[in-house]
Amino acid sequence: MLLQATGLTKRYGDFSALTDVSFSIRPGEILGLIGPNGSGKTTLFECLAGVLPADGGTLRHDDRVVPPGARSSILFYMPDAIAPWPSQTVRWALDFTAGFFGGTVPESGPDIVPQLDLVPLLDAPIGTLSKGQRKRVLLAIGLLTPQPVLLADEPFDGLDLRQTRDVARALRSYAAAGRTLFLSIHQISDAARICDRFVLLSAGRVCGEGTPAELSSLAAARGTPPAADLEEVFLALT
Amino acid sequence: MRSRRSAFVWLLDKERRELAASKSWWVMLLAMGPLVGVSFISAVRTYAEASGLNGTSAGVGEAFSPLVGVWAPTFSACELAAAFLLPFVGIRLVSGDRQSGALKLELQHPMPAFVRLGAKAMVLLSAWIVASLAPLIAVVLWRSYGGAIYLPELATVAAGHLLNAGLTVALAASTAAITEHPSTAAILTLTVTVGTWIVNFIAAVQGGVWERVAGYTPTAMVGEFQHGLVRLDVVSIAAALIASGLVVAAIWLRLGMPVRRRAYESIALGALTAATLFACTFITPSWDFSENRMNSFARADEEALEQIHAPLSIEAHLAPEDPRRVDLERRALSKLRRVMPQAQVRYVSATSIGIFEQTSQHYGEIWYDLGGKRTMNRATTAEGVLEAIYDLAGVKPPVETDEIFRGHPLAVAPKGAAAVFYGIWPALVVAGAFFVRRRRA
Repeated sequence: MLLQATGLTKRYGDFSALTDVSFSIRPGEILGLIGPNGSGKTTLFECLAGVLPADGGTLRHDDRVVPPGARSSILFYMPDAIAPWPSQTVRWALDFTAGFFGGTVPESGPDIVPQLDLVPLLDAPIGTLSKGQRKRVLLAIGLLTPQPVLLADEPFDGLDLRQTRDVARALRSYAAAGRTLFLSIHQISDAARICDRFVLLSAGRVCGEGTPAELSSLAAARGTPPAADLEEVFLALT
Repeated sequence: MRSRRSAFVWLLDKERRELAASKSWWVMLLAMGPLVGVSFISAVRTYAEASGLNGTSAGVGEAFSPLVGVWAPTFSACELAAAFLLPFVGIRLVSGDRQSGALKLELQHPMPAFVRLGAKAMVLLSAWIVASLAPLIAVVLWRSYGGAIYLPELATVAAGHLLNAGLTVALAASTAAITEHPSTAAILTLTVTVGTWIVNFIAAVQGGVWERVAGYTPTAMVGEFQHGLVRLDVVSIAAALIASGLVVAAIWLRLGMPVRRRAYESIALGALTAATLFACTFITPSWDFSENRMNSFARADEEALEQIHAPLSIEAHLAPEDPRRVDLERRALSKLRRVMPQAQVRYVSATSIGIFEQTSQHYGEIWYDLGGKRTMNRATTAEGVLEAIYDLAGVKPPVETDEIFRGHPLAVAPKGAAAVFYGIWPALVVAGAFFVRRRRA
């Protein structure tokens, strides 16, 4: 086990965005965080990354608690719907990411720029990109960082079918090279295509965790037909 | 995509690029030329008239110093820019990261928040230095007209404005870090600026402790530097405020910290800053860098006063808005405090303007107490004050040995200044902005 989150809680006044959230992340896996809009996926990622203060809970790595200020050594969080450094070019943003965070493209690893079809965009300012183009640039930024775990919030949002497949292929190649990915995805069909295991989140609570087979068994125990797909499993468990 | 540069150098480069991409920075640069130009041109014209240009009485400006006649008004454009333009540049640089989401990415580098903010502050101060090229051009023009330059006083004026810019940067950074939106930060920053003006106004009306506080506002600080005076207490207080503002900004940029903890840390820092400021008010050294020693008594008088060790207290029955009180402060007491920092000065008045106190028997009296011996006069000049002190101390007034400052009259028109500040400067700024934009595109 690479990371173990236990009892994560986040409240906004009387509203509880996360309640006693616990799950684990295994090395080299692609873990999917599935949940409807407003279920607390982004809040969970931000609390994990330490960019939003949690009200309770711990994250353990190698049996040691990792305080929020030290989490940047283990994981990098790529938020959704941001346009960082809008006046700067994509080329500069990728250079900056590699230089500032100390990450470089491994000599033998995949080259993310052609893989995400960013070559034509390299000299465009980030602020001028479309949603899908920006999403690919953000993913490239995330993949260039050196931390062993990447949390990506809605990595397929705004992408067309072809781009979704390209991005999924790129993510798989990085996972195969040893990077652990934790992806927040609200489209269950996209999640089913790429993830090895899932954490189901609903109303700020974890409703299930495991491989599709493990989740099906869990759903079957609650009366869902055994051959049900991930969508039906999700509906049964949430 | 490989680099051996340190993370801080990357961040510095990023802040520099963000500054170059900021419209507010280019607007500030654009405005600096005409602002400095209008001040410089009118100052040179007035200086020339006082020096006898166009048939005005030659010799009136004989004791004229470029410090007061040219540099103070010319550099006053910097004060305007620091109050109304620089805050927006600072807020843009700090808030921009939060608005775009870049802050959430950058915060995931383990670099300490204060170092992170240090990069922004360094870039903002260098931005100010670039903007200060406009008054530097005025200096070059003045020299080309044959004007005299006394470097220590000119450097003092520039240093005062740099310190003022530092205060603005710290204020803008802290408000931008605390608030969610840049417009709120702008309102807060301007509120603080206007607040210091209100303190100055109340001080002029009420006197007392307000007068003491007003002595440390940016306006008062810049005013002293513009007269060639550097007070260590003022510099220390400004430095403490700058450091405090930047630390507050650093505290609030740590989005991962609970708001309550950030608030407690800010309150603790506020208390520490208040204690530091209070301690700084007891610092007494000061230096007069003006060529004509406008902030000092004659050297012989200073030496004579330094020999008087008995405790001196002065009680002046003058209202805060009475022009005689202003004269007394400017011509005598401010100079006296520099030589005798332990001298106690107390003002007594029942009203703020003093008009209705004129009939009062004791109004206008200035009482001097030196080691228990008392005397009174009504003179508000340096000579009157010194005479009373020497009389009480039983010291013979020294013979003045200082060379009389003859001034540097210069009766020339500000030739070419309009073309430089209203034409060439704006054209260069627009061309620079266009070039930078094209390079990015």
